[in-house]
Amino acid sequence: MKITINSSISPVIASFLIALFLGGGTVLAANEKSLLTEIKEFNKPFDSLSVKQVQPVTRKTVKAREKYQGGSFQVLARKQAIERYKCSSCHKDKPVLVNQAMELTHSDIAINHGRKGNELTCIDCHHPDDRDYLEDKKGRKIDFDHSYQLCGQCHFRQKRDWLGGAHGKRVSNWAGDRVIYNCASCHNPHSPRFKKRFPATYSVPLD
Amino acid sequence: MISQKKDNPPTIIEDVLEKPSSRRSFLKGASIAAAAGSAVLATGCMPGGNTAASGELTLRWQEFFKKNYRIMSQEEKDETVERLERLAKIQDNIDVQIGSDPPIENVLYGYAFNITRCEGFMECVTACVKENNLDRKTNTQYIRIFEMEPGQLDPSTGDGQYFHKVPVEDKFYMGAQCFHCENAPCIKACPTKATWREPDGIVVVDYNWCIGCRYCMAACPYYGRRFNWGKGEVPKEEITTKQHYLGNRKRPMGKMEKCTFCIQRTRRGKLPACVEACPTGSRVFGNLLDPDSEIRYVLKHKKVFRMKENIGTQPKFWYFID
Repeated sequence: MKITINSSISPVIASFLIALFLGGGTVLAANEKSLLTEIKEFNKPFDSLSVKQVQPVTRKTVKAREKYQGGSFQVLARKQAIERYKCSSCHKDKPVLVNQAMELTHSDIAINHGRKGNELTCIDCHHPDDRDYLEDKKGRKIDFDHSYQLCGQCHFRQKRDWLGGAHGKRVSNWAGDRVIYNCASCHNPHSPRFKKRFPATYSVPLD
Repeated sequence: MISQKKDNPPTIIEDVLEKPSSRRSFLKGASIAAAAGSAVLATGCMPGGNTAASGELTLRWQEFFKKNYRIMSQEEKDETVERLERLAKIQDNIDVQIGSDPPIENVLYGYAFNITRCEGFMECVTACVKENNLDRKTNTQYIRIFEMEPGQLDPSTGDGQYFHKVPVEDKFYMGAQCFHCENAPCIKACPTKATWREPDGIVVVDYNWCIGCRYCMAACPYYGRRFNWGKGEVPKEEITTKQHYLGNRKRPMGKMEKCTFCIQRTRRGKLPACVEACPTGSRVFGNLLDPDSEIRYVLKHKKVFRMKENIGTQPKFWYFID
């Protein structure tokens, strides 16, 4: 009787032992959930407004005209940062006839945007008639606060990432209302690449 | 080097250790004796009623016998925080606010670093030093940035001591700090349970329970931990006064410390100091359990990798490329 039981169990034990020897590590690894799989299982939206003690952003913001993962968000306003806004205080329906007006008011602008030798000109972005606005390639007026609509024409990859959160960043808080930096908050639109500069400090080697 | 040292144990200490006296009974006896002694000190040596000094002694005494932060009740946490605030006022004459904010529910912090965008300005490093009151004398830094050759992905091959204008063509920049592993080797190595993983994923240190053995430093495969060699010299006007018990409060000398994802900020909904300081937006921080967060977007849509993924530490810090 005993022998028969043993003979019926032994192939099971043997196969188990073989499995343990050959693929023990991989079997265990398969049972163990990876962090990413665990994270992906969380699909319930988190109410980030439920986080207490969040200080709201004090800087001036506007509601974006795009959606972010189904919800709306705020971007930093731009107009108050433009020194001589409103532009229409000089640029009215008549041409500006002051002597050397261009040099006196806009000589600080150096255009370094676009391929070398084929840089953008003013009216590639600025509205040719209504200087209080920008103009995209389809001829639509674009507000200075919503310049991402203009920049995204060429830099559509960056815009996609910016909407999702992989380009640019949020202002001060990870929780609470989503407020993110506008394109022109970080980039100078006339010379968008960051200037080379010295690092703030140095790092010691790893060990 | 260490093994070359001769084993020459002093016999007196051995005797004391081998005697059948428990640590608890010893401490009990010692504490009674010392309490009597300190009372004599406080009353006898300072007859002018120097309340500040005697107060300091009492506070330090109570601080010495407090529990591990993890087994403290909320009242005990409040008490120790108040004591620490008063000690800071007495010893350094600064008003600090030390928090003991608990973790937020349904939050697991995660971090992503864009190696395409980082241009090596190192402003994150200086912001971190300032926010976390790091020792200026020994130049302690939680974050390191390395200038990397193309094709290399191991920060130990990079150069952190570059001194030229950045970014340089054909180089890229890579940051390293504590990665807050889910399966952290440093926690397992700690002999006093002074370091642990909080429910929101932050690996923290109880500075009062750390004995400074540096086992965790040896166990960490990412060189994420720092030892406090000095007393922590920070110019008074540069001290960040909003602090957390597990974060940037004043560390005693000879303790381990590390990045805490700026626990004093993140538990109040703010971004860590490095993220806020980054001029290029290479740093992404957020809640991994929120499907609408930025960090989840990065994990879903970008090419991500983690350092030394094969050793199974499950760090919550991803590198990604655009």
